[in-house]
Amino acid sequence: MFEQEDETVERVIQHLRRSVAIDPGLDARVMREIAQVPPEGRRGRPLWPLLAAAAVVATVLVARPWNRNAASQADTLQFVLVAPQAASVALVGDFNDWDPARSPMQTAHGAGIWATVVRLAPGRYRYAFLVNGVEWRADPNAPAAKDDEFGTPSSVITVGGRGS
Amino acid sequence: MGIHKVEASDAELVRRVRAGDTGAYGALVSRYRDRLGRYAVHMIGDREDAEEALQDSFVRAYRSLARCDDPARFGAWLYGILVNRCRTTGARAARRRRMFVRDAQALDGAAHADQADRLDWTDAVDRALTRLAPDYREAFLLKHVEDLEYEEIAQLTGAGVSALKMRVKRAREQLQKYLREAEHV
Amino acid sequence: MILAALLLVTQVAVQDPRLDRLDLDTRSAVAAVVDSARVARLPIEPIIQRALEGATKGAPGPRIVAAVRKLAVDLGTARAALGTSALEAELEAAVAALRAGATPEVIAHLRDVRRPPLTMALSVLADLVASGVPADSAAAAVLALAPKARDADLVEFRRAVERDIALGAPPGAATSVRLNAGALDVSGGNTTTGNPNNPTRRSRP
Repeated sequence: MFEQEDETVERVIQHLRRSVAIDPGLDARVMREIAQVPPEGRRGRPLWPLLAAAAVVATVLVARPWNRNAASQADTLQFVLVAPQAASVALVGDFNDWDPARSPMQTAHGAGIWATVVRLAPGRYRYAFLVNGVEWRADPNAPAAKDDEFGTPSSVITVGGRGS
Repeated sequence: MGIHKVEASDAELVRRVRAGDTGAYGALVSRYRDRLGRYAVHMIGDREDAEEALQDSFVRAYRSLARCDDPARFGAWLYGILVNRCRTTGARAARRRRMFVRDAQALDGAAHADQADRLDWTDAVDRALTRLAPDYREAFLLKHVEDLEYEEIAQLTGAGVSALKMRVKRAREQLQKYLREAEHV
Repeated sequence: MILAALLLVTQVAVQDPRLDRLDLDTRSAVAAVVDSARVARLPIEPIIQRALEGATKGAPGPRIVAAVRKLAVDLGTARAALGTSALEAELEAAVAALRAGATPEVIAHLRDVRRPPLTMALSVLADLVASGVPADSAAAAVLALAPKARDADLVEFRRAVERDIALGAPPGAATSVRLNAGALDVSGGNTTTGNPNNPTRRSRP
């Protein structure tokens, strides 16, 4: 009886030890956050935090939420595409006027993982990735936008409002 | 990734970051992301909250890197930050309804025929874990999944070694009990 | 009168400089749709975004115009189903749901059983259909969950169904299995057909 129960716990332990896939985009998110503020004890440029804060404020003011009231419920989301062969990747969608210049993506550590961060008010947004300025790719990890009236694949992201 | 190069030690990377090479921190993040992520996911029980706690912990660790007394033990120090951060989230998550934690690899490895069985069992484990009291779960995970020594866990959590042993024992007992319950529906 | 109308159209075209990316003919046709939408008090931002999508993708002018016209019509249908107090985000999501095959009746029903905003519920409905779930199964599932589930639960439901489909489950069946699993506290509805040596095999009472 005892042995069987120990066996159960051992099986639980073996199961829990399996590696858990963490979003690889997390690395880029961390690096982006720390780029804004120098660590303690480092002789940094004191202007940095102010400049970074100003940039964030400017971005928020320029972005157009669907609904003015929804601006306070905006979510900051990261978009990631794995494209090891790409020279450039841009995120385009309903939230940035489908303008490739607005959200170019960055790759960290040359691992072919492209990422960028966007602030989105609640709503449903179509989007896609433009690779090397010419190739359209949907987001493999997102629902597909069923109507592709323009003949290229797109994806959808929906940001919910709070309180539902 | 398949690319092997001579890897810098934690102490070396910390030294570089302190000297101004922010990019070197990225190597530390890569190094610890999955291992710490595993703890966060099992402790918190919600993948998104866990990733948020993990991200937060990495950022906090960077910002207070000057306070890491022993750069060679950066990992343990980072663990401490994460364990504390998970406690905050844990309190919030406990007020929400249960969310499944899915281990994608468990699903991938499952053959079609016994897929339902495996899913049910892993669900039962996840549920059982969530039912444990937070400090039992914490102690159990740190000891048996993260393989830390009791002395290390004592340092991280501030609890005494004998209290920790008791918590782990209780956790084991309760897990057995919940899993037995799950089998007889 | 004609001058005023002409001025109005020109004004609209000038008002939103983003439309400058379109050629002149396309631009005025789109501006006319935008203007009608404005008059009908439908949201215009989605219409503009659809035009910009077409522009970036290099679509021919007539295709862009057809797309924005269809969108304006669909927004009207969505608004009729959801009511005049619907948010822009809800209307957009409702358009997606309608195009996925949900009927206006389903959308109106959703409005009756769930507190606003309905954006996520409608989106999940559309996204389920996009993964291959038949429209009526998707609608039934979302309506069943709608009264009590939070937005996050609906998203998790959709993800779980998509995972099951990716693992080979037939889409309609995946939806109902997930629905039933969510309804019970402990899932015990499956007959075990797995490996008899598998120690996790449960005994059925």
